Amino acid sequence: MMRGLSRRDARLFGRAREHFDWALFLCACVLAVIGVINLYSATSVSKAALSEVYIQQVYWLVLGGILATVVAAIDYRHFERLGYVLYGLGIILLLLVFVLGKDIRGSSRWIYIGSFSFQPSEFMKLFLVIALAKYLHDDPKSEGRKLVDLLIPTVIAAVPMVLILKQPDLGTALILGLIFATICLLTKIQWRSVVTLIVSAGIALPLAWSYVLKDYQKKRITDFLNPDANILGSGWHAHHARIAIGAGGVVGEGFMRGTQNQYLFLPDQHSDFPFAVYAEDWGFIGCVLLVLLYAFLVLWSLRIAATAKDRFGAVLAVGVGALMFWHAFFNLGMVTGILPVVGVTLPLFSAGGSSVLTIMIGIGLLMNVSMRRFYQSG
Amino acid sequence: MRNLDESRAKWIRLRMGILSGIMALGLGAFVSSAYRVQVEDATSWREAAENQRQRRLHVEPKRGTVYDRNGTSLAVSVEVPSVSADVVEMLRGNDPKDREATLRDAAARIGKILAIDANDIYDKLAQKKRFVWLKRRISSEEAVAIREISDPKKTPHSLKGLTIDGEGHRYYPGRELGGPVLGFVAPDGFGKDGLELAFDEELRGHVEEVKGVRDRTGRLIFSEGTTDESALAGHDVTLTLDEGIQHVAERELDAALHTYETKGASLVVLEPNTGEILAVATSPGYNPNDYGASEVDSRRDRAITDRFEPGSVMKVFTVSAALAAGSLHPNDTIFCEHGTYKLGNVTIHDTHQNDWLTPTQILAKSSNIGSLKIALNLGENGLYSSFRRFGFGEPTGLPLPGEAAGVLRPKGRPWFEVETANASFGQGISVTTVQLAVAMGAIANGGRLMEPLLVRKVTDARGNLIRENTPHVRREVIPASVAHMVAEMLTAVAEDGGTGVEAAVDGYRVAGKTATAQKVDPETGKYSEDKYTASFVGFLPADHPRLVIAVVLDEPMIGRYGGDLAGPVFRRVAEASLRALGVMPEGGGKLAKVSRADDPADITLAVMKPKPEAVAAPQPPPIGPPLPSNVKVPDITGMAARDAVRTVTAAGLVPEIEGSGKLTRQEPPPGTQVPKGTSVHLVFEIGS
Repeated sequence: MMRGLSRRDARLFGRAREHFDWALFLCACVLAVIGVINLYSATSVSKAALSEVYIQQVYWLVLGGILATVVAAIDYRHFERLGYVLYGLGIILLLLVFVLGKDIRGSSRWIYIGSFSFQPSEFMKLFLVIALAKYLHDDPKSEGRKLVDLLIPTVIAAVPMVLILKQPDLGTALILGLIFATICLLTKIQWRSVVTLIVSAGIALPLAWSYVLKDYQKKRITDFLNPDANILGSGWHAHHARIAIGAGGVVGEGFMRGTQNQYLFLPDQHSDFPFAVYAEDWGFIGCVLLVLLYAFLVLWSLRIAATAKDRFGAVLAVGVGALMFWHAFFNLGMVTGILPVVGVTLPLFSAGGSSVLTIMIGIGLLMNVSMRRFYQSG
Repeated sequence: MRNLDESRAKWIRLRMGILSGIMALGLGAFVSSAYRVQVEDATSWREAAENQRQRRLHVEPKRGTVYDRNGTSLAVSVEVPSVSADVVEMLRGNDPKDREATLRDAAARIGKILAIDANDIYDKLAQKKRFVWLKRRISSEEAVAIREISDPKKTPHSLKGLTIDGEGHRYYPGRELGGPVLGFVAPDGFGKDGLELAFDEELRGHVEEVKGVRDRTGRLIFSEGTTDESALAGHDVTLTLDEGIQHVAERELDAALHTYETKGASLVVLEPNTGEILAVATSPGYNPNDYGASEVDSRRDRAITDRFEPGSVMKVFTVSAALAAGSLHPNDTIFCEHGTYKLGNVTIHDTHQNDWLTPTQILAKSSNIGSLKIALNLGENGLYSSFRRFGFGEPTGLPLPGEAAGVLRPKGRPWFEVETANASFGQGISVTTVQLAVAMGAIANGGRLMEPLLVRKVTDARGNLIRENTPHVRREVIPASVAHMVAEMLTAVAEDGGTGVEAAVDGYRVAGKTATAQKVDPETGKYSEDKYTASFVGFLPADHPRLVIAVVLDEPMIGRYGGDLAGPVFRRVAEASLRALGVMPEGGGKLAKVSRADDPADITLAVMKPKPEAVAAPQPPPIGPPLPSNVKVPDITGMAARDAVRTVTAAGLVPEIEGSGKLTRQEPPPGTQVPKGTSVHLVFEIGS
C-alpha cells in the first residue's frame, strides 16, 4: 500500500495515526448523533416535507465529514496562502445573493443552483476567520496595536458584515462581528484604543437602532426586553420555546414525548429551535450535558490555539472556536429567553446543509491545526 | 503558540484564560437560566403547557334521534358545515401596515362567496379574534368555495385561518309531521318546545366540559381514557306515535280545518288497552325545520294545552257513573219532557222532542234532559267524583310542556243543582282532547283509566335501554260490565238514527259520542249563538277496541254539528289507522246493518249475558295492503344530505349520516330488501 506513496504522504498518514485528535473527533460525533436523534423527535409529527429532515441531515453530515477530512488533510499553510483568495470568493458569493437570491420571509440569504441551495453567509464566517488569521500572521506585532493598526482587519470584517446586513440577516452579521471581536481580544491593543472603541460603540448603537435595524429586528429586541407583551405576535417563538423547555423539568418528558413539540406548538422546531425540543425531551440534565459538550468543544479549540505551531494556526483555532461559541451562546440564549430572537443556528443541532457543512469544515480546520502542532513549519 | 519569548507566551496564556473565562461565563449564564426555567419555575411552565394543550372544550354531543314506534326518524341531527375564522392566523407573517388591506381583501372575497356584505365580514375580522363565526349553516357549494380560497394549491393568494366545522343541525324529515308534539331546537342546541323541550336533557346528551387535548391548530385529540363521542351523545327517544297514522290524522285535520273553516282542531288516536298515543294532531301546525317563519299560535299542541267545554260527550261519563253507582238501570226509561224542562229559573232544551227514553236512546239522541235527570238522581258529589275518576280536572301526566288540567268546579265550590245539570251534558266544565281520549279509553278497555304513553323507550347512543314505559293503569274507574254496557250503548250513536252516523266505518262497529257545544262568547259572557265546538269521541271495533279517536273542531264556520263535521274525520282516520294496525274487520257498521232489535236496550242486556259465539263475519274485502315488513332501500346516490335523509326516512329506514356534501356511498346498496327500521349508512363528501 505504502509503496506508491511519497515520503511526505507516508509522513502524513503516520501523523494522522499518531496525532489524530480523538477528543475533538468524539465530541463532534456525539454532538452530531444527538443532533440527528433530536431532529427525528422534532419532526416526527410533521407533515411530509419536514419528516425527511433528519435523513437529509445525515447526508449533510456525511458530506461534511468528507469535506472535513479533506480540509484536515491539506496542510493549513495552503489556506494561509489562499487566505485572501478565499475571502474574495466569499465576498463574490455574497454579492451574488443579491442577484440570484430569492425572498424567504422578507430576506434573501440563499443562492439557488438548480434544486441545490446554499447560504454564502455561513461559509463567509470561515473565510473571514482565515483572512483575519492571514492578516495577523503576516503582521506579527508584539507591541500594542493602535486603532490605525486595526483599520485593515476592521475593513476585512466590515465588508461582509455590511453585505449580510443588507440581506438582511442580523444574526449572521452579529456572529461575524463577534468572531472579529474575539480574535481582536487575542491581539494586543493599546488601552487608549480600547477606550475609544467602547465610546464609539456607545455612539454607534443608537444610530444603528435608528438607521440600520429593520422594524422586525427592533421588534424582536423590544419583545426580548418585555417578553410577555406580545405573546401572540412576535414574542410567540420565544414564549412557546420557553414553555416547552420549562415543561421538560429536571429529567425531561422522554424521547419523542415532549408534548409541546408533538402537538406542534413549537415553531421552527428543526431550524432555529431544535434545542427547545431537546430540552423538553431530556430536561435540565440533558441541557447540562449538551452545554458541557459545547463548552468542551470551545475550550478544546482554545487549547488547540494555545498549542498551535504558528500564529496563523492559533488565530484559525480561536476563530473557529469563537464561531462555535457564539452560535451556541446565541441560539441557547435565544431559546431560553436570555437573549433576543435572532436566527442563529445551533452547531450540529439545527437542520440545514450550509450550517452543517460550515461547522464540519470548521472542525476539519481545528483538526488540521491540532494535528500539525508538533511539526516545525518548513 | 510555541516559539515565543517568555513574556509573550505569558501574555497569550492570560488572554486565553480571559477568553475561556468569558466563554465559560456565557455558557454558565445559559445553564443558570435553564436551571431557573426547568427546575425552579418548572411547575408554572408546565402548567402553561398544560393550559395550552389541555383545553376545557364544550364538546357539543350529537343530539339524540326521535323515532316513531316503527323506527322511522321524526327528528334527527345532521352535521351542517359552518365557517369560522382565526384572524391571528390570517394575519400571520403580514406586515402591520398591510393588515387592514389584507382584511379588507379577505372580507371582500369571503363576502362574495357567502353572499354577505363585505363590510359586515370586515367588522367581524377587524376584532382580530382567534375565533369568530363568519356564517353558520352554509351550503355545500359555499363550503367548497371557501375551501378553494383557503387552499394554496388552488388559489394563488389563498386565505389563511378559515375553518369549516360541522355543526349539529336539527332536521325534521317529516316537516310539519308532529310539529307541535316534537317542538324544535334553538340554534344554541337547546330544545325549545314539545318533546324537544320535555326530553331536552336526555336528547342533548352530556354537554359536560371535556378535558380534551388540542394541538396548535385547535384540533381535538382525545387522550387515552377519554370517552368516545357516542358516550357523550344524546339518548334516542322512541315514541308511541305511528308516523303513518299521525300523517293521516294531520292530513284529515287540515282538510277539516279548510273545509269547515275552523279556528283550530285537534285529534288524538289512542290505543285503549295500553294507553299508547298513536297520533296527536293539531291544526294549524307548523314546520319545525323553519320554526322562525311560523306563528307562535300554531306551535301550540292544542290537544294538550287547550281547554274547552266538551258538551254532550260528557253524557257518556254521566251515564257510566250512574250505571256504576246503581242509580240507573239499563232498562230504565226516563221521561224527557218533550224537549223543554224548567229547572229553577233555567229552561233546558233538547234538540228533539222526546218522551220516554232508555239510557241508550238518551245517548243516541243526545238528550240533555235525560242526561240531567240521570245526573240529579246520582247526586252532585257522585257526578263530580266520577268525572274526577275518569281523569277530568287533572293533567293526564303526558311528558309534554304546558298540559292543561281542565276545570270541573270553576267556582271552586260544589255545583248548584243547575250546575250539576249542566255538567252532566258537558257545560260549565272544561277538558282537553287528550283527557277525552283517555276517559273514552276507559270505556273501551273495560273500565281501566290508563296513563297515556307518548314515549315508548329511551335508549343511549349505543343502543342500551335507559328507560322503558310500560302500560300503567291509573285506576279502575267503573266495573268492566258497566264499561261493556256503555260501549254497546254507544254503538247506537253511529248507527241509523244516531247523531254520529257519519262516523260509521265499513266493516267495523263503531262506538262513540258526538258533541256540539256552544262556546261562551268572551265579550258577553253568555253562550254564543254561532260559535261551537264540534267533536266526536269514539272507539272501534266496538267489541274488541283497538283505537280510541277523539276529534275536536274549534269554531267551524261552515256547519256546526259534531256528528256532521267531526264524524267524517273520525271515520277516515279510523279507516287508515285500522289498516296500518292490520285490524281485520269484524262485521258491523254499514256492511252489517242486520237484525238490530228495535229497542237498543235489548242489546245492552244481551251484553250482560254470556256472549254467543260470533257468527262468521261476511268475508270483507281486503282493506289496503298490509304493512310491508320489508322495504326496498331507495337509490339516493348524488343527493344532497337533506334530500337523502328525507328519502330514506320516507322509506321507513333510519339514516346514519357521516360527513357532509353529496352522497358518495350508501350501505346497504340501493335496491336491497331490508326490514323496516333498518339503519342505512350514508357517507357524504364535499364534491370533488
